[in-house]
Amino acid sequence: MAAAQVPSRAGWWRRFSRRPPAVIGLVGVAVVVAMAVFAPLLAHYSPTTSQFGHVLAYPFSAGHLLGTDELGRDELSRIIYGSQATLEVGVLATLLAMALAVPIGIASGYYRGAVDMVAMRIADVLLAFPFLLLAVGLAAIFGPSLQNIVLALGIAQVPGAVRIARAEAMALREQDFIQAAIVTGVKDRVIIFRHLFPNMLSPLMVQASVSIPGAILGSALLSYLGLGVQPPTPSWGTMLASAQTYLYNDPWLAIFPGVAIFLTTLAFNLLGDGLRDLFDPSLR
Amino acid sequence: MRAYLLRRAGISLLTLVIASIVVFLGVRAVPGSPAVALTGNTDFTPAALAAINRAYGLDKPLPVQYVDWVGQIVRGHLGSSPVTGLPITTEIGNAFPITTELTILSMLVALLLGIPTGILAAIRRGHTADYVSNGLALFGLSIPSFWFGIMLILLLSVHFSVLPSAGFVSFSVNPAANLAHLLMPAFVLGTGVAAVLMRQTRSGLLETLRTDYVRTARAKGLSEWVVVGKHALRNSLVTVATVIALQFGVLLSGVAVTEEVFGLPGIGQLTINAVFQRDYPTIQAVALLTAALVIIINLVMDLVYMVLSPKVRLAGDPG
Repeated sequence: MAAAQVPSRAGWWRRFSRRPPAVIGLVGVAVVVAMAVFAPLLAHYSPTTSQFGHVLAYPFSAGHLLGTDELGRDELSRIIYGSQATLEVGVLATLLAMALAVPIGIASGYYRGAVDMVAMRIADVLLAFPFLLLAVGLAAIFGPSLQNIVLALGIAQVPGAVRIARAEAMALREQDFIQAAIVTGVKDRVIIFRHLFPNMLSPLMVQASVSIPGAILGSALLSYLGLGVQPPTPSWGTMLASAQTYLYNDPWLAIFPGVAIFLTTLAFNLLGDGLRDLFDPSLR
Repeated sequence: MRAYLLRRAGISLLTLVIASIVVFLGVRAVPGSPAVALTGNTDFTPAALAAINRAYGLDKPLPVQYVDWVGQIVRGHLGSSPVTGLPITTEIGNAFPITTELTILSMLVALLLGIPTGILAAIRRGHTADYVSNGLALFGLSIPSFWFGIMLILLLSVHFSVLPSAGFVSFSVNPAANLAHLLMPAFVLGTGVAAVLMRQTRSGLLETLRTDYVRTARAKGLSEWVVVGKHALRNSLVTVATVIALQFGVLLSGVAVTEEVFGLPGIGQLTINAVFQRDYPTIQAVALLTAALVIIINLVMDLVYMVLSPKVRLAGDPG
């Protein structure tokens, strides 16, 4: 995947919009972001007020489009507000991982030698622990809260991201224009900031959009296990967890949050695929 | 080749050792003294604390503790769980067969679903079959596995009452019930891996079909079936080996979740319960076991890949 060519900027929108799945992904992501940002305007009810007279109502019942949950809270509003937690964790965890991984990856890939050896051995060790188990373990140690699962998921993503960043840095370093800069005596720091990093941005963007779905699924899982945002703040994962108890009474409660997670992840996957095709169409 | 083998094995061993150190230090880094972590109690009188520390060897310098711990593990003494009181080796021994069976069945599902779809998508590239396969792969990648499991339970246990929703029956007790309990979990796990496998098979095959030696084979007049069949097969083997290695870790995480959802008393559920109950000796043992498995599988797959590769290069030479 190391797309070490300098991508052409011209006409990128036209190339991107030619693939319907990519555009669908972009629209999907925009919808979820809009849901999160405009939640107070979109939701009719508060996601946390219980109406004990209307517990476990089915969809399309009086005034509740998606029904209510076991405490009488409006399901639709909870889904809308739940997007906030999901997006926050997914995006922030990935950004954190990138922020940590890129400097290490560049140092490893550009300078090679001892730095590279040490970094790779540490990455190997961290990668020996399955991603989700590592995240669960870290989250359990840190304690249940939004910030902590961002931290746990971010840290768990670092070794994989370091590998990618390192591969990019190494491939770019061999390119003629970087070699020329090195040979003519340009300072390392200038090379890295002025030439190396800007050309890594596109592959990194692709990598980020490919990692976000994993972070979203991870955050849903951690919430499902009770390690994420605590009730009454709505989160799609916790909604699924409580829904499992009521599977026989009101199966709809288990369907909606899952569909929400699925569609959000799908949108980010489509977007990521679209971006990747933009920069490395040979894989089509 | 032997030099590479030795070097590769050496790196694996080093990684394993570092992983064990990480696990060892991790337990001791938990807030509260290690005595708390290892026994599960929180208040000690000073005398009791001193006795515990002596009994667990916690008053010795760290490196000595580490060596002692490694020595015990190598001898098979993993300690006892402070939560259940059972020796950890027993707990792992009970849980392991369940998880192993689930993993094998999931891999079977993944191979049966992923490889044919990938091959089909590659040879019918750009046509409906390709789009459908890609769509299915995307579906498998985007779906939260625990939700997929719940939905399957909803459909097949609640609505149609065809399959049991939880629990486990050993194969030796009742083979039919055993498979009935494992069918849905294996399917849930398998589809996730199948999605990745399908994509990799497709792109790998596409790359191979573009190469010169395939073009030569076609020019020689070999039937399309022979060209695709021989090379598709060989290519698939390499892909499968790579994906298995990469996905093994993912599969292990997935196993934990799936066991939770379907109530299977395997290693995954053991781990999650241990994490929630702060059962650090068990966490320590399972973490080490998992890391060792991943490292060993990676090593084996690297060696398999090495064995397959020269064969691919040599045999692909149109004779």
